[in-house]
Amino acid sequence: MAVKMHPDLDMLLDYSVGGLSTALSVSISAHLHFCETCRSYKAQLEDIGGTLLDEISPRDMVGPGLDGLWSMLDGATPDTDPLDSDIRDTDLRDRQAPDAVNSQNTAKSGLDSAAELRTLPALIQNLFPVKAPQWRALSPSLQVAKIPVGEQRYELALHKIKAGGKTPNHDHRGLEVTVVLQGSFSDGNGRYLPGDFLVRGPGNIHRPIASEDEECICVSVVAAPIRLLGRFSKLLNPLLSFNPE
Amino acid sequence: MIIGKPISVNTIHRKLGINKLAMNKIGVNTMIIKKVKIAVDPNRGEWSDLLVKVGEEKDKQAFSRLYTHFSPLVKGFLMKGSSFGHEQAEELVQETMIKVWRKAASFNRQKSSASTWIYTIARNSRIDWYRREARRRVDLNADDFYESADENPAYLSVVQIENKKSIQKNIKLLPREQFDVITKIYYEGRSHGEVAEELNLPLGTVKSRIRLALRKMNLQLEPLEMEG
Repeated sequence: MAVKMHPDLDMLLDYSVGGLSTALSVSISAHLHFCETCRSYKAQLEDIGGTLLDEISPRDMVGPGLDGLWSMLDGATPDTDPLDSDIRDTDLRDRQAPDAVNSQNTAKSGLDSAAELRTLPALIQNLFPVKAPQWRALSPSLQVAKIPVGEQRYELALHKIKAGGKTPNHDHRGLEVTVVLQGSFSDGNGRYLPGDFLVRGPGNIHRPIASEDEECICVSVVAAPIRLLGRFSKLLNPLLSFNPE
Repeated sequence: MIIGKPISVNTIHRKLGINKLAMNKIGVNTMIIKKVKIAVDPNRGEWSDLLVKVGEEKDKQAFSRLYTHFSPLVKGFLMKGSSFGHEQAEELVQETMIKVWRKAASFNRQKSSASTWIYTIARNSRIDWYRREARRRVDLNADDFYESADENPAYLSVVQIENKKSIQKNIKLLPREQFDVITKIYYEGRSHGEVAEELNLPLGTVKSRIRLALRKMNLQLEPLEMEG
């Protein structure tokens, strides 16, 4: 069944030239995974890039060139010091997403999550190269797992609504993009299936309800508002601003 | 080789999956390639033939021809749109061409032309460069979020090839103002919003120039249902 809701063409263009934030790029990729039409648009937009590459004035290589490339391939020794790179990666992630790193030890549902993850598009699996998503309950029927990408402007997360689960009414502080990955949900405006790409803005109050037969998993991007420091900051975070029933 | 400050060369190599043992097994060693100018008409698909050869047979001769042709183009592209100097641009070219060597087996000539495929690899390498510079999460790279979009079966490739020809023919015929907007977006790899801001043009003007340009290039785009 064809996907009904799509990103607009300008957004696909921004994606195709590499001008979108990582979080939004992930949401577009998730949509493309399900949408043949937009994949064809993206391929055509990339063809413009390929054509411009064909037509560009070449610049002579003055550095090590092909010999340098072969010796780089030849001299690469990723096996000799895996610690070096692993420490750096962890170090960086630690600084940027302490939640994700800390919860590694406390997650007891890690295996379940990993199994569940395998049914999702490879895209989503790729986003968790180190460990399974860490689900956190926002309400009895709604769970969230943040996906750290290290961006200030956008937050990326998975949302999971229990089969038949009603989420609290919520408004949007900034742009919110939701792409259904599995199952379906409805709100006042319609029913959304895997691949559907929804954009909501401030003042767009809605109350998603998952279908009765299956839990619903979505990937979402929220434009982060200016963060306030202090103990009320969480209340101002749109991802956490659902009012418990 | 130094790519970016916050990340080690070994990390780069690990990201690119360069494995010395594997490379030795298939007999890759330092070798001298003479610079030979070979005329290949991209419209006739010879570059794609070479890419397939690299993918299937790890053919170093085929790769060296691709390298000789494409690395100055990728370098030209990067230097046109970014403030990269020679050295930085060439590091990104190397990163791109290493991926071409490694990923050639995943090139599908039914789905794209060689230059489009290499363009996307260069684009992703540049995204990763900027992400490293900004010290973003480094275990995640652009290939992760771009490639998986294509997992599902392909659509009609014939349409694709016809479109590429139409783009080649018509892009040069675009009115200056449309050409400038389109090329700036592609060369610089920036969103149309950022480009509007920098050119000091209303967003609507940029959007309409994009629409007109895409129409002139005969892209097969149907209006999509929107939600907002």
